[in-house]
Formats: sequence, C-alpha cells, structure tokens
Amino acid sequence: MSRKYRIVLAGNPNCGKTTIFNCLTGARQHVGNYPGVTVESKTGEFMLGEDEIELIDIPGVYSLSSSSPEEGVAFEELTKPGIDLIMNVIDSSIPQRSLYLSTQLAELHIPMLIVFNMSDEAKRKGLKFNIPKLQSYFGCSIVQTVGSRGDGIDKLKTALAESLLHLEDHDVPKLTYGADVDDAIHELVQWIEPAMTDRVHHIPARFFAIKLLEKDTCVMRLPEFQNLDAIIDAQITHLYARHAITAETFMADCRYAMISGACRDAISFTQERRREISDKIDAVVTNQWVGLPLFFVIMYLMFWFTFTCAAPMTAGIEWMFAWIQGLIERFWSPDAQPVLRSLLIDGVIHGVGGVVVFLPNILFLFLAIAFLEDTGYMARAAFVMDGIMRKFDLQGKSFVPLVLGFGCNVPAIMATRSIESERDRRTTILVLPLMSCGARLPIYVLLVPAFFAVKYQAFIMFLIYAIGVAFAMVAARILKSTLFKGDGEVYLMELPPYRVPTAKSILLHMWDRGVMYLKKAGTIILGVSVLLFIANNFPEKKTFDADYGTQMLAVAADTSLTAAEQAAAVRHIENMRRAEAAEYTISGRVGKFLEPAFRPIGFDWRVTTAAIGALAAKEVFVSQLGILYAEGEGAGDDENEDQQEPLRQQLRRAYTPLQGFCMMLFCLLSIPCLATLAIIRKELNSWKWMFLEAAGLFALAYVTTLIVYQIGLLLKIGTNHLL
Amino acid sequence: MNDDKAPAGKAGESACNVMNPGECTLAELPVGETGIVISMKPSLRGRKKFADVGIVPGTRLEMEAHAPFGGLLRIKVMESSLSIHRDDAANIIIRRQDPS
Repeated sequence: MSRKYRIVLAGNPNCGKTTIFNCLTGARQHVGNYPGVTVESKTGEFMLGEDEIELIDIPGVYSLSSSSPEEGVAFEELTKPGIDLIMNVIDSSIPQRSLYLSTQLAELHIPMLIVFNMSDEAKRKGLKFNIPKLQSYFGCSIVQTVGSRGDGIDKLKTALAESLLHLEDHDVPKLTYGADVDDAIHELVQWIEPAMTDRVHHIPARFFAIKLLEKDTCVMRLPEFQNLDAIIDAQITHLYARHAITAETFMADCRYAMISGACRDAISFTQERRREISDKIDAVVTNQWVGLPLFFVIMYLMFWFTFTCAAPMTAGIEWMFAWIQGLIERFWSPDAQPVLRSLLIDGVIHGVGGVVVFLPNILFLFLAIAFLEDTGYMARAAFVMDGIMRKFDLQGKSFVPLVLGFGCNVPAIMATRSIESERDRRTTILVLPLMSCGARLPIYVLLVPAFFAVKYQAFIMFLIYAIGVAFAMVAARILKSTLFKGDGEVYLMELPPYRVPTAKSILLHMWDRGVMYLKKAGTIILGVSVLLFIANNFPEKKTFDADYGTQMLAVAADTSLTAAEQAAAVRHIENMRRAEAAEYTISGRVGKFLEPAFRPIGFDWRVTTAAIGALAAKEVFVSQLGILYAEGEGAGDDENEDQQEPLRQQLRRAYTPLQGFCMMLFCLLSIPCLATLAIIRKELNSWKWMFLEAAGLFALAYVTTLIVYQIGLLLKIGTNHLL
Repeated sequence: MNDDKAPAGKAGESACNVMNPGECTLAELPVGETGIVISMKPSLRGRKKFADVGIVPGTRLEMEAHAPFGGLLRIKVMESSLSIHRDDAANIIIRRQDPS
C-alpha cells in the first residue's frame, strides 16, 4: 500500500542539509522554490519503496525561536500541523553546538531521525560516538553519513523506512533540565493544557511551557496564552532568583548543560585533536595584514575568469544568432510578410540575442561564486571587508554583492540573500543599481571615443565607474541614517571550515542561475523587444514632406559628382528620410512629447527615446541611437570600431562633449533595466519599494545631470561641437 | 597567527586590571589566548543569539584573529569559528586562561 509522508529537514546553517536533500531527492527531481523575504524553503519529492515522500528543506537555524527572519520561517514551518517526521541533520564534527537544536526539536514530540552528517570530519577530529546511548537519550534513530560522498545514504533510507513504520508508537525523549526547571515546566503545563485550542493542539503543551519560560516572542504573542502572563512571570522570577541569570539565556544555559552531560557519557575523544588544516589556511587568509590584499587578488581573478574565459563562448553565441538570422533572411523573402519578417529579425533575434549573449558571463560568474561559497571563502571575504564597509554604514556581507553588480545587477541582487540584517540587505539592494553593470559598458564604449580625445578616454571611463561607486556609498549612508535607521542587528557569522567543493553542487548552482536567466530572456526581454520594435516602426509614414526619391534620382543623374560623392549624398538623403519616418513613429512622438522635459539636461528627442528604450536593457540605448541615426546597423551587437565610427561622426555633429558626458551620467544613474527592477520587486517583496527605487533613481539621475549640464553651460566646458 | 600583533589586544592588557584579577572582556583577549565566559553585561544586545551558539557562562573561547580595520573578531567556540563584532564582545566578561 502506498502512502504519502511529509518530512521536514532541519538543522544548523551549513551542516550539509541541502546535500542530504539532494542525495535523497536526486538532482533530477523537481525542486520548487518558494521565495520568502530573506530565505526560502525548498520542497522535493522522492519514492521510498512504495511510499511517496515530500521532503521540505527549511533554512538553517541555530535555535527554534524567533530572533532572526530565518528562525521565524523555520519555526513556522516546524509548528505547522501535518508533519510526519523531522529529519534533523547535524554536523557531527561539532556535536555540542549541533545537538542544541536537537534538544528543542525533540520537545515537539514529532517522530525524529537524527543524521550525524560529516562523520568523516568527526572521525578525523578523533570523536567517537556511543550511538545506542545517544539514541535512547533523544528517543530516536541516529544514522551516520558523509553527505558529500553519498556515504550512509542507503542506511539513512533504511532507517527512514523503519521510522515511518513506527510513527504511531514512536519513543518520546525524556529530556531533563534539572529538578527545579522540570518542576517549573510541569507547573506551567497544568495551566497551558486547558488554554490549548485546536489550532495548536498538535504541539505538546510542554513545548509551549519551555518557550514561555524563555520568553520567546513568537509563542508569547499567541492569543491562547495571553492570560497566563502572571503565572509565567511567577515561575520565571522563582527560577531566576535562584540561578541569578536572565530569562533569555536561562534555557540556553540549561540545554548546553544537558548536552555536555550527554556528551560526557556518549561522546569520547580517541586521540588528541589535531590542529586542523583549515586553521592553518585561515592564519593567512584572515590575517590582519595579508587578508585584504589576498582578497583583492581573488576578486580580480574572479573577474578575469568571468569575462576573459567566457569570451569564446560569447563569440559562439553571437555566431549562432547571426547564423539563425542568416537562415531566416535566406529562406524568408523580404516580399512575403515584410513586417513579420522584420519583427522576427530586428525585434526578436536582436532583442533576445543581445541578452542571451551575456549567458556565458552569468554562468562563469556563478561558477566562480559557487566555488568560493562552497569552499568557505565567502565567509572570510565578508570578514576581511567588514571594517572598510562599515565606514559606509554597510557591512562585510554587502561587499560581495556590490562587486558582482559590476557584472550584472540581477544576480548581484540575488546574492544579497546572504545578508542577515534586513536593514543592511535592503540598503544594499537599493544602492546596487548604481554599480555600473556590464550592459552599460557598450554605451560608454560608443560615447567616450566619440567625444573625448584618446588621452582622456581611460580617465573618463574610470570617472564614470567611480561616480557610480561614490553615489552608492553616499546613498547607503543616507539610507542607513534615515529610512533604515536603528541599531544594526547583532553580527554573528560562522566561518565554516574549508571544504573541497563537490563538482555536482557547483554545477547545480550554476545551472539554476543559468536557467533563471534564460527564462528572463524568454519572457520579459522577448516581450519588451517586441513592444519596442512596434514603437520604433509604427505608425508607418506613407507620405513624406520632401520627395526623397526624386532627390536621389537627381543626385544619381548629376554627372559633376564623383562616385564616392554620389554615394555620400544618397546616404545623406536616405538618412533624412529615415529620420522623418522615425519621428512619425510612437517612439518618435513620445520622444518629441517628452523633449521639453529633457532639454534642460541636454537631451533631444532622439536621446530621450533611446533613454526610454534603455529601460528594457541598457544596451538598447546604443542600438536605438543607431536606428534613429540610421547608421551602423546592428551597432548594439558588437563593438567593432569601424562599424560604430559613422554613428560617432553623426553624434559629434549633433551633440557637444558636455551633452555626451551627460548622456553617460544619466544612463549610469537612472532607472536600471526592467529585469533589475523585477528582481528588486521579488527580493524586497514589494511593488511599492520597486516604484520608489525607480522614482528615486530617476530623480537622482535627472537632478545630477541637470546640475552638471547647467554648470557646464555656464562655465562653457565642452560646449563646442567637435564637428 | 600568534605573531599577529594586534594593537587593540595590547591596549586591552591595561584595561583588564579594572575588573577582578584575571578577568577582562572578550574584546580585550589577545589573539591566540583562551578564556572562560564568566558573565554577560546587561548592555549586551542579542544575548539569546549568542547563547544559542554556545556563548553561555562556562564556555571556553579562543581568540583566533582580528579583522583588518577594526570591527570584527574571530573566536573559536565549541569547535567552530564565529565572527562577532568588537562592540558586542566588549559586553562579554571572561576569565583569561594561562597560555600554556
């Protein structure tokens, strides 16, 4: 007979829960993401014999209470009705700390199975466990595993099947916290039991008694126990007067005392503990003097890996899209359904292709991040950078996402999940779009050589990036001293021992991100590309103000011109015709309509529409200018100098260097691309914040550019046309 | 790690004498030395969080390193390394153990 069971995986952060999760469900099993505000639970399914198992991987926590967001999520998940079994994964190389959570889980009186994971590390440390003794202590089976190698997984499955047979008559652990504490718990239970409603009836009264004794805010807030305040306070005062200790830490103290008692009985050291290799590595990596330089070297290597090593793959993807385009052009004659053909080539292939081209960078970046994360280096990076980041009211954990932002804001914003302090996380997310991402680079690559002499080009490029960083740091300080004011959360981070990452886990991480990115390209980007195509091409202009056809014929007939002069003249006329057509389209009309608002910052209607197009993806700014000036077809696709040169000539004629600089400044600071906005909405879980962010950045960009442009005009800096 | 001369650790030597002999705050414990937690000052924030990871009276701690530019300390508690902020460590009172 086949049955369905719900099993929750609980354990400390970094104890190998997810590895066990993947071992049990298999990498090819469906893994659903349920995003929360700061953390997410994962659900997977697998078959155990005839039975169907639903396995829920909750965020790692040290304690079953509510002193941080992930503890809240874990607490809620574990106190929901309908859990058949708790699988408690512990890092058996640090048994005392890991069993602390087990003592709390045991009080839920839900059948439990304890997984002593990382038993190879425990063995290396010389730890020996008396498993039968520990089993009777916690009233459940214990299985030893090495998740990273898959050792013990079969034993775990056997034990799980065995436990599931005895769900009705499972053992209840007999945990004692000392005579007076047990008395206080017993006393409170008498009062709690009558107050229990159906809603909480699946949880033992004893569990609530303990939580109330340690003044757990989640439990104290439950309406059932509102009338018990006086009784609880009496018990607490009675206990604490005798022990001279505060309410919040009293139970923690009792639990650790209990565990150290249990450990004395059941855990022994067979040999002297060796100083771990990990500590030796850390003597260098987290060293006060060497740590920082080493960190910068590693960051540099990461960037080099992301951008240099991915280059051949990028070229491959470009070639692939060009090939597809060629195929379509060859087999779809321009006469049949010309609009659809153009939509497919100029809208879909250019739009989506322009984004998919970054896939190798994304994959390589996340490969590097996953490697650094899995080895344990990321925790050290946060440690060494913390001092510098605090000067800007951020913290060490904000640094890595900010650096990733130079690559692409979207994964960088996802990477902020590792920041526990909600205030710091929100601040980091909100300032992240100011880090100039890779997609903004094509804009600078087009404009800098157009307006600045070779000797200033590198400086201007650097200046743009530096302006972004400076604004981000100042914005962080402002946000932290206004909207996100208050004492930061207590900083507490574990530095896990260095481990050799498994290829599987790194590749999985990379795969997840890659799939996510492609989904974005296939949905948002595709949609926007089609919309922009329509806006750029419709309504179509049928009758023109000037008769360009006749003009061209006249040029062609003019024998006084050389062939080259003729071609140039024809192209000039063709450009005028296209410009007139462009003005007639939706983009043109919107640009014309908005032009008065953007004139004070030096933008004409063309730049205005390009800036609007940049909302879809920043690179669109370049391709949009290219289309509007009807030069350098496909200018957005590659940064070939020669191809972009005619467009630069046009830009030099139309704008001053000051205007050019203002364009870059505006693109840097203004609203990020829609994909970034979408991820901001998802990560902050709020439409309101997304709109506030967009409005705030727009205002920042507008005001800054306005000031720069007007001061520039006043002081006559770069106000002369180069051509 | 031991030859990592931490300026803050040195400054802590004199401050140690303010409390009972042999007692000082965790922030003042020099790199490489160990101590036993005696008590927490009432001003310690997030005491439950610290208690949950094992920083309760009677626990043995080892100062492993100081982060560059101040803020963070790295301590060994119950076989695992934790990084905590110096301001919080200044609220944890410990008894220093002989380096031997």
